[in-house]
Amino acid sequence: MLVLSRQRDETIMIGDEITLTIVDIRGDKVRVGIEAPANVAVHRKEVYDAIRSENQKAADFSGSVSQLPGNQSSDGPRRSASALMADAVPVRSKNPRRERA
Amino acid sequence: MNVQTTRFGQVEVAEERLLEFPFGMLGFSSYRSFALLQPDDQAIFYWLQSTESPELAFVVTDPAMWVPDYQAQIRRDQMEELGLADVADAQVLVVVNKREGLLTGNMQGPLVINPETRQGVQLVLADKRWDTRHELMELSAADAVTA
Repeated sequence: MLVLSRQRDETIMIGDEITLTIVDIRGDKVRVGIEAPANVAVHRKEVYDAIRSENQKAADFSGSVSQLPGNQSSDGPRRSASALMADAVPVRSKNPRRERA
Repeated sequence: MNVQTTRFGQVEVAEERLLEFPFGMLGFSSYRSFALLQPDDQAIFYWLQSTESPELAFVVTDPAMWVPDYQAQIRRDQMEELGLADVADAQVLVVVNKREGLLTGNMQGPLVINPETRQGVQLVLADKRWDTRHELMELSAADAVTA
């Protein structure tokens, strides 16, 4: 792992387009400002770890929530009318997709 | 296609029920090919069964059936990877878990599938409204529903 020392307001470049800036340092907490292109996902690692952990637990799912085999060729599950929004911008309005449906 | 499963033995799966996750799922990146198994049109839980590993299967459900205002946000480049022109065309599913007498849904890591291309991706949401262990129902009730 590359380790760099930085002071407040100093920046690290990752490639040409991603910058990490040390915004604030207080005690054992560091605030980092990140600028990255829209197609680069930036998340706290804990979020990835939590989802991975849930996937791993789910893979051990046992028991009979339902007797699912058979009928695999029937029509697909009902569509989610409102469950997806484009772009990583918070949208306040409720269920805009539903109005179009 | 015949799919070997440890839970259901060998099942015949129609071509249109096969899904590809080019990046796999978090923690399972080497498994790309899945079949969506459902018992009937009234089903609320489905199995996302790996076609590559007989023992690997996830219970999934449509989050909008549980949380009417559930919304996942997808980036344009992710839509392009799925060949998804309109978010309204996507099928959204969440992975289901059992814990302490509850069924929970991973609302923070939804699966988004383009039914046309049958390609899927697991999103990672930054939205703090959703977590990985959203309560869906008490397990005894779930058993009653699907009995």
